[in-house]
Amino acid sequence: MKKLSLLVIPVVFMIFFSCGKDEDTPFTLLTERTWVSDSLLVNGQNAGNPGQLLENFNGEVNFNKNGTGSFGSYTGTWRFAQNETQIIITTTELPLPLTTEIEVLTRTDLKVNTAFPDPENAGVTLIIRMTFKAK
Amino acid sequence: MMRRHLAGIALFLAFLHGHGQQHSIFRGRVTDGQTGEALFGATILYARDRGTVTNQEGVFVLELPQGNHTLTIQYVGYRSQTIPLSIRAGETQQLNIALMPEVTEIEQVIVSAGRVEQRVGESTVSVSVIRPSAIMADHITDPTELLNKSPGIEIIDGQASIRGGSGFAYGAGSRVLALIDGLPMIAPDAGSIRWNLLPFENISQIEIIKGASSVLYGSSALNGIINFRTADATPQGSLNFFTEAGLYGAPRQSNWKWWDTPRVFSNFSVSHLKKYGNTDIGIGTYLQSDPGYRKRNDETFGRANFRLKHHNAKIEGLTYGLNGSALMNNKIDFVVWENGETGALIHDTSTATRLHGKTFFLDPFISLKSDQRYSHDLRVRYQMLRNEFPDGSQVDSDAFSLYAEYQLWVKINELINLNAGLVQQSSRIRSNFYGDHEALNAGAYAQTDISPLERLKLVAGIRLEFNSLNGENDKLVPLYRAGINYKLTPLTFLRSSFGQGYRYPSIAEKFAATTLGAVRIFPNPALNPESGWNAEIGIKQGIITPKLDGLIDLAFFYTQNKDLIEFDFAFRPDPYTGVPDFGFQANNREYSRVYGFETELMLNTKVGRLNYSINGGYVFIYPTEFNPYTLKNTGVLLKYRRKHSAKLSISTSLRRYELGLHLFARSKILNIDDVFVNPTTRESILPGFFDYWQENNTGHFLADLSLGYRINANYTLSLAVKNLTNTEYMGRPGDIQPQRHFSLRFSGKF
Repeated sequence: MKKLSLLVIPVVFMIFFSCGKDEDTPFTLLTERTWVSDSLLVNGQNAGNPGQLLENFNGEVNFNKNGTGSFGSYTGTWRFAQNETQIIITTTELPLPLTTEIEVLTRTDLKVNTAFPDPENAGVTLIIRMTFKAK
Repeated sequence: MMRRHLAGIALFLAFLHGHGQQHSIFRGRVTDGQTGEALFGATILYARDRGTVTNQEGVFVLELPQGNHTLTIQYVGYRSQTIPLSIRAGETQQLNIALMPEVTEIEQVIVSAGRVEQRVGESTVSVSVIRPSAIMADHITDPTELLNKSPGIEIIDGQASIRGGSGFAYGAGSRVLALIDGLPMIAPDAGSIRWNLLPFENISQIEIIKGASSVLYGSSALNGIINFRTADATPQGSLNFFTEAGLYGAPRQSNWKWWDTPRVFSNFSVSHLKKYGNTDIGIGTYLQSDPGYRKRNDETFGRANFRLKHHNAKIEGLTYGLNGSALMNNKIDFVVWENGETGALIHDTSTATRLHGKTFFLDPFISLKSDQRYSHDLRVRYQMLRNEFPDGSQVDSDAFSLYAEYQLWVKINELINLNAGLVQQSSRIRSNFYGDHEALNAGAYAQTDISPLERLKLVAGIRLEFNSLNGENDKLVPLYRAGINYKLTPLTFLRSSFGQGYRYPSIAEKFAATTLGAVRIFPNPALNPESGWNAEIGIKQGIITPKLDGLIDLAFFYTQNKDLIEFDFAFRPDPYTGVPDFGFQANNREYSRVYGFETELMLNTKVGRLNYSINGGYVFIYPTEFNPYTLKNTGVLLKYRRKHSAKLSISTSLRRYELGLHLFARSKILNIDDVFVNPTTRESILPGFFDYWQENNTGHFLADLSLGYRINANYTLSLAVKNLTNTEYMGRPGDIQPQRHFSLRFSGKF
């Protein structure tokens, strides 16, 4: 009986504490914090300065639970795709929805990659990598 | 089912009641008044709960107390008869009774709602029934036209949406399952419905189940089913034919007219059905040539079908046979117009691809029905499809599938029936368009009907659904349904139901990879199944008076679906090569909720010498997206849905003349794909559409007219005018629907 108590008590203890703690999901990780841009790269080069391609992603990024969001100076909507491995951002300021692949999503870091046609050179694709830190 | 309960209770009570009295005997035989066939299980009652049932030869023997009685003879699907009888003690009387097939609307017999025969009023789900008279009188040769003119359904470019549950997604598979006599007719590659294969020349009834029906019918029945039931052979036999020619009128916008010579279409149909001894034989064929009202959008096809069914003479209730269908077509499907100003009726050359298609079904079956206690049905369908593109054979494809279904129905006792089945479909695709794939779908279902009270019926069902694609097994999916029907009065039925739906993505949605005109289509092997559920409450009121026969139905419904697949446009990497490009890809995109109500009216009456048939309906829906994480409505209206749709049909006949007027109204489409409104893409995808859409998406009103003259008992000449008001309206973006057109038909019936 004593051996049984020794087994049961830790199990109950673990269940109690595991139930009391919410598990992270991609949705909660993304929406429960404000993100701040850390690096905005195009083809490996910084492109977040004024006048550069990603300057409007500079600043704070919020993915609201209701599907709306602010992404630097852009506002619009966002949604997950491909079993929560992609984030698609839609704003009226961008010509098309921006489909980004999630590389890292933790409580502290968000890294996304995407590609976009070069607006100045037809047929050339720009490789974009954006990283954000939790505020 | 209620008939069986009644019969059992009646037998038991008759035994109790009659015990110890001096009996008189009333005996006879109950037959079909049209075919002369014995009716097995007909009920003969001489008091509310006292009587007997007929045996397999239709024979009954009823012991009665002496005196005056009123006998009621009932059989599902037939008009009940009452017979006054006066019988003396110890006397034996004999009478043969011929029941005529039922004509009242409320007592129509359906099979689709529970996979067993039941009266339409007793169903726990919403069912609409279309009779073949509508097909003939209105010169309808395309099943999608017929369904489009039915309340609560809209067909957009071949995709059916019931009560706004499906919407439209170009290239996606069907969320409504079409069946011929209960066997699915979904193409194994694209998951679409081959409407032209339906044997329209031999249809007895079309049943539409409005709501998720995956428990009984599996994948694709996410939004409901449409079951096309073919007619049975009779000893008298039947021979029907028609030949028809028609003409497209000029479009409302004269600068859209691109042709110099008349656009004439024609078709021909013949079918024969007859019982020879113990064998039913049926054959039918249909030929159509339609050059189309659009340039580079024509179709010529021929369809043939046969039916063989043998009733075993030695083993009562054993039948077996073979059905088959074949279709060959030569067509160019419409994709996009040339431009919205002068080329709306001209198919753009970049997407105009000729297709030679061949489809072939072979359906062996065997059935054993025994003594109203159980039935076994084993049915198989071998399907073969071949698509050949003479101008680009690199996208030719072949698809094969073998579907097998075993169904068992058992009457466990007077209160409980069990319906269970096993289903398996194996498919093989060989295609340069989709790639080569092998798919397996399997399901097991069980449903029980319980009638704890005479007026009450409870239904509960479960299904386990399994899919495997290219050897990768998907998880086992359980699906549930439940329903209740309460007969408040003899003609008033209350119902409520809940049902789940499920659809596994088609091969095309997962693997289609091609370039269509200037547009790329990316595959998406990671696509998830669609799923959802719907609930409804409804009331059906029968109307039977000396001058009226009809019904009114009112239903309030709610549908919720998630992961609905649609092709969205983006700059995205190819999932195999990683190379990014502009293009479409199927994605689990839509999370939908549809709230609404539907009312339907059917009324047959006679005023003076005129017979009238009135059929109408109105549907209101509020379709909105919801956030899958917060579960709150986003307020974004769903694509390709309309809030209001209404229909009113009036048919009348006087002596040799028949007249039909059919009115339809639909409000505007609430939302469409972003690619058609986005300033970056809209002009390159569909030139001129956005401006046209802004101005013309206002809803539409349509009217069809038909006039018929019966030359004699066998021949009829009729004229139909479709789109009488020459309304200009659109289905999906760019798909302008036919302008006013006329057809003249000569038909015969023997």
